[in-house]
Amino acid sequence: MRFAMGSSIDQRATYLQLQKAANQKLQDLYAKDLHFELDKINEPILWVKNMPNLFAVICYLQTDEIFKINYLSDLTAYDNIDHIDGDKRFVLVYQLLSLETKVSVRLKLLIDDSEDAKTISHIFPAANWLEREVFDMYGIVFRGHPDLRRIMMDERFIGHPQRKEYDIKQRMPFADNMKTNLDRNPVP
Amino acid sequence: MKKTIKETIKETIKESKNSVDYKNITDFYNPNILINIGPSHPATHGTLRLMCQLNGEVIEDTKFEIGYLHRGKEKLGEVKTYHQWFVYTDRLNYCSALINNIAYAMTVENLLEISITARCMWIRMICMELSRIIDHIICVAINALDMGALTIFWHLYRWREEAYTMIEGMCGMRLTTTYARIGGMFYDVPEDLHDNLKKFCERFPKALDEMETLLTTNRIWIDRTKGVGRLSKEDAIKYSTSGPVLRASGVDFDLRRDRPYYAYADIDFDVVVANNGDVYDRYLVRTEEMRQSIRILKQCSKHLQSANGPLWVDDRRVFIPDKIDVYTKMEVMIHHFKIFMEGIDVPPGENYTAVEGPNGEVGFYIVSRGGPKAWRLRIKAPSFLHFQMMENTIKGVKIPDAISILGSLNIIAGELDR
Amino acid sequence: MSKDGSNTMIFSTLLSEAVKWGRKNSLWPMPFATSCCGIEVMSTLSSTYDLSRFGAEVVRFSPRQADMLIVAGTITTKMAPVLRTIYDQMLEPKWVIAMGACSSSGGIFDTYSVLQGIDYIMPVDVYVSGCPPIPEGLIYSVLYLQKIIDEGLERTPALKPTYEEAMKAMTYHKTPEGLILPSIKTGISLGNGTNEEASKEVPNEVRNG
Repeated sequence: MRFAMGSSIDQRATYLQLQKAANQKLQDLYAKDLHFELDKINEPILWVKNMPNLFAVICYLQTDEIFKINYLSDLTAYDNIDHIDGDKRFVLVYQLLSLETKVSVRLKLLIDDSEDAKTISHIFPAANWLEREVFDMYGIVFRGHPDLRRIMMDERFIGHPQRKEYDIKQRMPFADNMKTNLDRNPVP
Repeated sequence: MKKTIKETIKETIKESKNSVDYKNITDFYNPNILINIGPSHPATHGTLRLMCQLNGEVIEDTKFEIGYLHRGKEKLGEVKTYHQWFVYTDRLNYCSALINNIAYAMTVENLLEISITARCMWIRMICMELSRIIDHIICVAINALDMGALTIFWHLYRWREEAYTMIEGMCGMRLTTTYARIGGMFYDVPEDLHDNLKKFCERFPKALDEMETLLTTNRIWIDRTKGVGRLSKEDAIKYSTSGPVLRASGVDFDLRRDRPYYAYADIDFDVVVANNGDVYDRYLVRTEEMRQSIRILKQCSKHLQSANGPLWVDDRRVFIPDKIDVYTKMEVMIHHFKIFMEGIDVPPGENYTAVEGPNGEVGFYIVSRGGPKAWRLRIKAPSFLHFQMMENTIKGVKIPDAISILGSLNIIAGELDR
Repeated sequence: MSKDGSNTMIFSTLLSEAVKWGRKNSLWPMPFATSCCGIEVMSTLSSTYDLSRFGAEVVRFSPRQADMLIVAGTITTKMAPVLRTIYDQMLEPKWVIAMGACSSSGGIFDTYSVLQGIDYIMPVDVYVSGCPPIPEGLIYSVLYLQKIIDEGLERTPALKPTYEEAMKAMTYHKTPEGLILPSIKTGISLGNGTNEEASKEVPNEVRNG
């Protein structure tokens, strides 16, 4: 833990022992099939292979005693256009947390441009808008989502802004809907 | 014999059948009217759009639309260097800008595997607790303002100005501070900070008491807020709420105590949890959290007075030298030039760091592929998830109750849309 | 001296002076606050920096009842039509203060979704710089607006985009060749012929629609 004052925080933060035990358990269980690594502050990252694998892992994490995952912190994606992390175009990132044992896990999934991902909004309803944002910004389609449409940009927007090939200054404004209201009382 | 409204209308229509269009009249008795609590509305703080289907005054179905303040900060994170992006962190939760600065600095410091000095850490904790107080003041004041209690707004804003004066003394700007730097802070604190903090910590709880006499046992306030917007424990966890909203629903989780960072494991403070999850409980949780923040401020101030080490970490990669040295010594000038023109070289890796903000869990997820710019910079904003929770739990609520729920969640549009 | 001999004070002036005096001392603001500058508007309206000293006490959130529009905060391309509707609903005489860097010129956000200044879609009288401008800055701008009103009854903003130009700045154009997006440097003609070189750069497709 690198937060402050050397290693004094390591002894007093009790969740760190549980986190270490959790990391060890994940490594024992999954290191043979899936790729497991630790990030800079010793949080576990587990690379899952495909969507059924993701659901199986989440099911296991929800029921196991050390984990008891019940909270979705964040759902996001990033662009893997230089293929450093794998063969496919995008990486989906799921950040999970347990409110009882205070343990956190990060799951990552490689997904291609032409593939569809499957929604997890039936397990974590908080994923509804988060997946809409990933669709808006990257163009990853989530099958089974109740209401997949753009959330940040206008519905008529063309393009997915967060992709690496989208230029940051390429604007597309819309005022088509204004004419219908103001035609009746044109104000100079 | 009493006739229903429809029967009387049918009779009058039969009498004047030529002049009245039968279809238009019954259209008005269609229970579902679609209205727009639109992007420009005094009660929506910022640019939110609530499209509601009403039956009288009860909201039957809603869809929310956001994105009216989407400024593309995550994409900007890939274009600007790590230092240049500090400016954008203030504009996220602009009511408590210092917490966002510090959370982002923490994330980058974790990527670089730097641990900051003790003096810097105590200053950062003071900043965080001070911003927590001013954010809770805004939330309570605006919540009361929406329901007509204007006095609270005038009373409490004076204390915001006192806190702003202290923050301006520390870093030069009231609202968009950009105070934290990677590995240290921009300036050291002024000498009169401890006196000002002491006066603030003595006088502010009394002002809070005065405000509480106006609201906490007020019959009107209790009638308008108790039982309104009740959020059960399961719903709060399902929709990933965090911060005071989660704690008001009965879940005992606070990142400062459960996943502690900096010296929160050493400091005495209580975590405030309520049972019901309605607007009244959120108001009580926020008021009590302000008192706990005062408690933390007093302890941090004492520790800061005794921590006399250096402010900056002793690391060549991130150290920003003093201007006097920059203008007089050659190597220091080249070092300064390289840091600001080329940027800091961060090794490849990734990191997610979450901090207990006044609204909830503020997190930054940075993926770095080496170099001075981030590959992916993700901001986890609590208001986004709270607004989604509101969309799903607001059916069957009357419009004025919906406005008070919106005020109690403290939705800040800068954080919502990023 | 009046008829019965008492000393009555009568001062004679032009009607326009009286109208100016009345208008400048009772500006009713409508704070269109989208982001961080909105917090500074709230600070200005509260008791420490009191804006009601200068006549701007009555804050009206409906455009039909206000005569000064304070645009505080970033205006994105999604919000621009909403802002233009509000400006059109205000009745003459009306004035616009562009508060902060974001509404004056896009500010620090030169991205795919931010309108680079509200003077693309409406004429602005006073630009206040700052990010956010401190409350004293906003008070200074209201006083400056009062000075501008004193100079004449007609508005003299620097750029005066007409309704058609505002629409053009907010729409994209489809031609048989494809989409033409309004470019960053040009897009609308800049004013009433004061900047002739810039207005010559507007491509014909954008000008003719």
